[in-house]
Amino acid sequence: MINRRRLLQSGAIAGASLLLPGLAGRAFSASEAITVGIPVPISGPFAANGKFASLGGILAAEEASREFGRQVKTLDLDTEGKPATAVRKVQDAFDNNGIKLYAGGILSSESLAMGKEALRRNGVFITTAGADEITGTDCNAATFRWSVPTYGAIEQTVRPLVDMLPDAKRWYTITPQYVFGDGLLNVAKDIFKEKGIEHVGNSYHSLTEKEFSGYLTNAIAARPDVLLILNFGSQSSDTLRQAVSFGLKNRMTILVAWASGLEQFEALGPDICEGVYFGAQYWHGVDTPGNQALVKSVRERFDLTPNYSLAGSYILTKLLVDAAVKAGSIDGDKVAAELRGKTYEGLTGEETIRAQDNQVIKDYYLLKGKAKKDMADKDDFAEIVSQGKSFLSPEDAGCKMG
Amino acid sequence: MTYLFQIFNGIGIGMLYFLLAVGLSVIFGLLQFVNFAHGAFYLLGAYFTYDLVERGYSFWVAMPLAAIMVMALAALTEIVLLRRIYKLPHTFHILVTVGLALIIQEMTIIVWGPLGGNVPPPEGLNGVIIVGDFIYPEYRLFVIAFTAVLAVGLWWVLEGTRIGAIVRAGSESSENTALLGYNTLRINSAVFGLGAGLAGLAGALAAPIRGVEPFMGLEALGIAFVVVVIGGMGSYTGALLAGILVGVTQSVMASLWPEGARLMIYLGMALVIVAMPRGLLGRA
Repeated sequence: MINRRRLLQSGAIAGASLLLPGLAGRAFSASEAITVGIPVPISGPFAANGKFASLGGILAAEEASREFGRQVKTLDLDTEGKPATAVRKVQDAFDNNGIKLYAGGILSSESLAMGKEALRRNGVFITTAGADEITGTDCNAATFRWSVPTYGAIEQTVRPLVDMLPDAKRWYTITPQYVFGDGLLNVAKDIFKEKGIEHVGNSYHSLTEKEFSGYLTNAIAARPDVLLILNFGSQSSDTLRQAVSFGLKNRMTILVAWASGLEQFEALGPDICEGVYFGAQYWHGVDTPGNQALVKSVRERFDLTPNYSLAGSYILTKLLVDAAVKAGSIDGDKVAAELRGKTYEGLTGEETIRAQDNQVIKDYYLLKGKAKKDMADKDDFAEIVSQGKSFLSPEDAGCKMG
Repeated sequence: MTYLFQIFNGIGIGMLYFLLAVGLSVIFGLLQFVNFAHGAFYLLGAYFTYDLVERGYSFWVAMPLAAIMVMALAALTEIVLLRRIYKLPHTFHILVTVGLALIIQEMTIIVWGPLGGNVPPPEGLNGVIIVGDFIYPEYRLFVIAFTAVLAVGLWWVLEGTRIGAIVRAGSESSENTALLGYNTLRINSAVFGLGAGLAGLAGALAAPIRGVEPFMGLEALGIAFVVVVIGGMGSYTGALLAGILVGVTQSVMASLWPEGARLMIYLGMALVIVAMPRGLLGRA
C-alpha cells in the first residue's frame, strides 16, 4: 500500500504528450507512432482512478512499442469526471493531436458523451464505465465497453449467493436513486422473484449521501438475512463501514454488488472487509495467463499490484493498439472493424467482443473478504468465490447499431 | 418504534454536526468573517487522526492531538494571512478562504494520497448496544456523550467566564473592547484557532465513523453552513438546536422518504431564510 500511495503521490508518471499531425484519414507507415488518448479524471473526486488508469495505458503502450517495433504512446486527457470537460478534451485531442483512439472514461456520463464524439469524428472509444446504455440503448459503432453491465453484475453475485445461502430468504437493498442503481435493483428483484426470496425493503438515497445510519436503522428493523448494497465507489465504502460499525456483519450477510476492487479494499482495510461478499470486474488473483503476465509486469514496472482501474485501462489500450496495427490505420471505422467479433486471451480468460453491440463478453467475480491472518500478502484481501459470464442479448439490451 | 430509533440516531448525527458548525458560528459571531476553509480544517483533523493512528498512537492520544494541531495551524494562518482581510468586503473573505481550502485539500492528496483510509473505533468502543430491535454502535454513543459534555463546557466558557465575556464583548464592538485595554488581535487569533480546532475535533471524532478521504471537507462545509444558517449566524445555542434538527431530519427522513433526506435539509434551510432571515436563534 505504501508503494501504491507513494507512486501516486509523486505524480512522477503521467501520460506522454506529443503532437501527431497528419495522420487522419490514411494508413500509417510501419515507423509512425501510434498515440492513444486516455480520457480519465486526473483531478477531482475520481482522480485516484484516473491516475491508475494512466499507468495502465502507459504499460500497454510500452509493451506494444516493444512488440510491434514502433513508437506507441499515451496522452492523458483530464476529464475531471465531467462530461462537458471530457468532450472538450477529446475534441482538442482530435483537432490538435490527430488522436483517433481513446481508452478511458471512468464515469458513465462522460463515457456516453465521449463515445458520441468518437462516432462523429471517425474515432474509436473503449471504456470500462458501467451504465447499461453504453452498449444498450445508446450504443454506437465507435463505442466499445470492456466491463460487465448491471445485468451481469447482479446475475453473477446475487444468484450464486442465493444458491450458496439457501436459508437466507429475506433480503434488504440500499440503492442510489438514479439509472445505475435502478438497473441493479431491477435485475436483483427479478432474481428474488424467480428464487422465492422475500425483498423485505429498499432504501433509496441521493448521490451525495454520506451518512447511512438512518438507512441502516431501517434495514435492521426489517430483519433481513442479507443486506445487498447497490451503490458504488465512496458511497459503498461509507455504507459498508457504517454497516459494520452497527454490527450488521454479525447479524446478516452483506453483499456489495459493484465494488471498485483493490483500491476499495485498501481504503477499508481487512477488518471491515472480512466475511463480506463483493462483486468485482477484475481481481489480481485471477488465475489466467493474461492476468498473471499483467500482475508480473505491473509489479516489475511500478512496484504495485494492479487494481481494476489500472488493469481495465491496460486492456483497453492494448485492444486499441493491437487493432490499429492489424488494420494498418487509426481511422475509427477500420479499427472498430478489427475489434468487432474479436476473441482473444484477456485478463479474465477468453474474452470476445460481441459484434452486435460492441460489448466485451467476460467474467464477473464474486469475492469474499479474507481475515487479516489469512492474507498471504498485503494485497490478498479476498478470495474468488465464483465467476461467470451473464449478458443480456443485444436486442434485450436495446442496442440498435443502425 | 423505528421512528424513535431514528430520532435517537438523528441526535447522534446532530451532535457531530453541532461540533462541526459551532466553530464556524463562533468565528462569524466574533470576527464577522465567513470562513470557507472551515471544512478543510475538519478534513485536517480527520487526517491528522488517521496519520497518528497509522503510526501506532492510541485514538485517545490522536484525537485531542489532532484537534490541537489544527487549532495551532489555524491560529497561525489567522496571524499570517486572514487578519489582513477582515476589513475587506465578504467577497475577499470568500476568495481567500476558498483558495485556502483548495490548498489544504490538494496538500492532503500530496501528503496522504488520493485514496481514502479507515480509522478503527478505539478499543472498548468497537461494539454495539442492543435494545430490542435497536442496534447502536458504542462509539457513536461515546460521540453523543462527549459532544454533549463539550457543548456544556463551551457554553460555560463563553457565557460564564471572564474570557467568554471578553470574547462576547469583542463580537459586539472590537473597538470598545480594545479601548478597555484588551488585545483584540490576540483574541481574534485565539477565537479563530478555537473555531477551527472544533472543526478539527469534529473531523477527528468523525474519522472512525466516516473514514477519511480528501474530499470530505466539502460535504462538511455544506452541512456546517446549513446548520449555521438555520441556527443563526453567531449563535451558539442556535448551532446546537439546528445541528440536532438537521440530524434528526436526516435520520427520520431515511424512514419516511429516504431519497428526499438531503432535499429536506436544504428545503428547511430555504424556509428558514425566507421566514426568519437571521435564523432560529440569530441575533438582531
